[in-house]
Amino acid sequence: MFEGVHRRTALTVLLSLTASLLVACGSGSDAGGELTAEPVTLRFSWWGADDRHKRTQQVIEMFQKKHPNITIKGEFKEWNGYWDSLATTMAANDAPDVMQMDELYIASYAERGALLDLNEAKKHLDTANFDQKALATGAIEGKQYGVPVGLGMYSIMANTDLLAKYNVPLPDDTKWSWDDLKKVGDQVSKASGGTVWGVQSPGINDTAGLSIRARQQGKALFDQNAKVVLPPEIATQYWTYISDLAKTGVAPPPSVTIEKGSAGLNMSATATNTAAFGLWWNTQLTALTAASGAKLKLLRLPGESQGKPGAYYKPSMFWSVSSRSKHPAEAAAFVSFLANDEEAAKVLLTERGVPANLKIREAIAGQLKETDKAAKEYLDTVPVSDPPRITPKGGSTLDAILKRHTEDVLFGRATPDAAATAFIKEVQSEVDAAR
Amino acid sequence: MKHLGLILIGFVMLYPVLWMIVSSLRPDDEIFRSPGLILDSLRTENYAEGWNALTPSFGTYLLNSTILVLGCIVGNLVSCSMAAYAFARLHFSGKRWWFGIMLGTIMLPIHVIIVPQYVLFSQLGWVNTFLPLIVPKVLATDAFFVFLMVQFIRGLPRELDEAARIDGCGHPRIFLRIILPLMKPALATTTIFTFIWTWNDFFGQLIYLTDPDMYTVPVALRSFVDSTVATSWGSQFAMSVVSLVPIFLAFLVGQRYLVKGIATTGGK
Amino acid sequence: MSALDELRQLRHGGVQVRKRDNRAAFWFLAPWFAGLLFITVGPVLASFGLGFTKYNLIQPPKFIGLANFERILSDDRLHNALRVTFTYVLVSVPLQLACALGVALLLDRGLRGLAFYRSAFYLPSLLGSSVAIAVLWTQVFGSDGLVNRVLGFFGIAGKGWISDPDTALSTLIVLNVWTFGSPMIIFLAGLRQIPAVYYEAAAIDGASRWSQFWRITLPLLSPILFFNLVLQIIHAFQSFTQAFVVSGGTGGPSDSTMFYTLYLYQQGFSRFDMGYASALAWFLLLIIAAFTAINFWAARYWVFYDD
Repeated sequence: MFEGVHRRTALTVLLSLTASLLVACGSGSDAGGELTAEPVTLRFSWWGADDRHKRTQQVIEMFQKKHPNITIKGEFKEWNGYWDSLATTMAANDAPDVMQMDELYIASYAERGALLDLNEAKKHLDTANFDQKALATGAIEGKQYGVPVGLGMYSIMANTDLLAKYNVPLPDDTKWSWDDLKKVGDQVSKASGGTVWGVQSPGINDTAGLSIRARQQGKALFDQNAKVVLPPEIATQYWTYISDLAKTGVAPPPSVTIEKGSAGLNMSATATNTAAFGLWWNTQLTALTAASGAKLKLLRLPGESQGKPGAYYKPSMFWSVSSRSKHPAEAAAFVSFLANDEEAAKVLLTERGVPANLKIREAIAGQLKETDKAAKEYLDTVPVSDPPRITPKGGSTLDAILKRHTEDVLFGRATPDAAATAFIKEVQSEVDAAR
Repeated sequence: MKHLGLILIGFVMLYPVLWMIVSSLRPDDEIFRSPGLILDSLRTENYAEGWNALTPSFGTYLLNSTILVLGCIVGNLVSCSMAAYAFARLHFSGKRWWFGIMLGTIMLPIHVIIVPQYVLFSQLGWVNTFLPLIVPKVLATDAFFVFLMVQFIRGLPRELDEAARIDGCGHPRIFLRIILPLMKPALATTTIFTFIWTWNDFFGQLIYLTDPDMYTVPVALRSFVDSTVATSWGSQFAMSVVSLVPIFLAFLVGQRYLVKGIATTGGK
Repeated sequence: MSALDELRQLRHGGVQVRKRDNRAAFWFLAPWFAGLLFITVGPVLASFGLGFTKYNLIQPPKFIGLANFERILSDDRLHNALRVTFTYVLVSVPLQLACALGVALLLDRGLRGLAFYRSAFYLPSLLGSSVAIAVLWTQVFGSDGLVNRVLGFFGIAGKGWISDPDTALSTLIVLNVWTFGSPMIIFLAGLRQIPAVYYEAAAIDGASRWSQFWRITLPLLSPILFFNLVLQIIHAFQSFTQAFVVSGGTGGPSDSTMFYTLYLYQQGFSRFDMGYASALAWFLLLIIAAFTAINFWAARYWVFYDD
């Protein structure tokens, strides 16, 4: 009945869709050019929860006051929805001008040409005040794809109230090993008669833990060419440790671990005062203290003194600019405001991590709460090595893969050996597939 | 006895909902300490906090959802009933094929359609409006309701149509005067379901509504929960309860039409 | 021509009727056709085309022929996802429909407090796809949840139902059954449409309740039952939100709740492999179409239409 019209129209629609997918238009103006006086609208997106949204919108208004011709449209989402939305808008060439970016995804976007090299925008975005080691975490082959917002370090959080309650002395964190952690955890479990576990199980959201284990023995997860160079023995060691903790009752039983792992921070063992030690990012101290209502102390990671320190600065997130932005200069200026402006920093504080900008870090030091001060101090004092290679493109599912193998090991579906080999193989094939 | 059984089943069914309502009145740190339903401490601030937690306040999201839902309901009622009449009562060439295609459109998962669809709407300039969410409803893309109505109409005896035909009615008259009034339960069902599904639909609204001023309830509710930071569960539950109220009310009101049923067809 | 002749032609479905119906059909279907052409066809064809490409959403798609479809055959995690999804469909749909029909029958006529019961049984469906479900479900099925507390009452040791790979899927099946409100409402609407006179006549004739159900209710309800069956199956195959929310987006533990669409979603959005995701979508469409076709074919044996 309508075949003729139908087919033609469908073809036209399909062609135009394909055409738009193929067009990768360059940016309108030059990132190093002058800031325009014309009215400009920038889109700025971030993820987080309500506290962050409020603060960020305050900062937007502060910027708009300083630059009346620039309007910033803020878009915020929660973590999962953020990435779905970003990917979809990228596909339609509709990406926001300034975006919050994560270490896990930055290479996936940068190495496919979606992000602007911020070195081109040096005129508007000055990065001199940044900790240079931290700045390096946002660079791939000399191109700066993101400015680190805040830094975090992997740490052990010890619940000193629980330790006091069960008369377990606080271990010496400058010398201890992973075995020492197991031992003291065992003390807690035994002393509490099983009501409180010693150590929250590693292996969930724990890519950093695996990476640090490797670094302590002079190895790494990836080499500069994005090849997986993690030795199988280290991976086996990692999962054997996790399996032991669960079997000996130092860590919660597998199903409890999984439950708490997927439930978010508030329901974790540390937050519910059911574990004495846990692996966390130092910047989560404030949230965990609030949730648990207990006194938590930041300790250095075990095994740091046995070899090279495995610890490193992890950027909590980056500010990046879209390579297809029509106003890269103005976008860079906004990023500069976010990263360098003291008034803005006083609003954002450490909600996104301890600032990577050293000058800003000191400027807000006076306003910090106890727990934030402790996190900052940890960052200032604990020794670190050079950061690992940015998670390569194709590695965006790294956390999920690690979690799955941990689950397999915990539930006895795979031996640590088998999990180690499977993990390495899977990660390598993911990275290969993305080339 | 029947009542006792029903009440027991009802309680079991409703337990999670009751727990959520009770938890919305608890302070955050107490929420996960117990699965019980007894309130130890009352904290109504969750509601105020939740209402104002995001900018703009939650009222905007409720309003946006309402506008969207009303548009979708009208769209669905009009276009789906027309399409259903055609499939159920008319003979036309290729009817089987078209029916198959109609059903086929609901068999593709949204996740692969969304990207090309987003590109299409983006080129039309419809992103960040309600248009990508309402226009499909006006164009009967909800095959679920078309099919539902087809089944209803097919359950109505043809003699009614034929009687009207003899009286000189054409198809439009038959549709409006005979079929539509008899389809009240199906129309009520469509209204209730469109309301509820649109009210709760997340992914489409997440992707197409980029400006927080345009956000709707499900998108806003998810904004409370972020796995990377501590979540204010109390506020989230409070706002979940608040957003349950309109759809629950819609259901309470709408189900009366299901109750009314149809008068026995007099023509027999 | 006389009315009688028209009627005769109607009954015999002559060519003239067909022509008249074609025009009428065009107008009645106009909105739907428009939707099909302008909104549906383009993206659908595009998604089909993308199945033959490698597409990471950022760079233009690259043609790779049948590679994605070949990968379907060898992808172990996909086969696991198929197993999980099939189990879910074959177990939860019959259970859910049985509950829906059973409760609808109970609630159909003359019960006091009907509106209250109806609303109570429907309320869970309102929450089914919300993000709060994850927490609620943990409160019921978690290690420290309601189910285990009740079991503890009877001296039975419970376990973490959601976080154990052996039982996680079952909690999702229960979740689907718990939200039987939608098919229940549709059954209620269908039951409403059965004229009471039939039951009255049967009662006068001395038919038992069971006989009335079997001879009156079921046949007259069969179009609705058919509808619910077809759509709940389609719906179950496409089930995404519950698995996503309860497993935290991972399909875990150990891929035990990795539904097909969840796997597809991960391929497209987390792995930036929209080409493979598109191929997977079309494969799913084939599966669903096959099931639906079987349903339609079998319908002639048990679905009764009055036209």
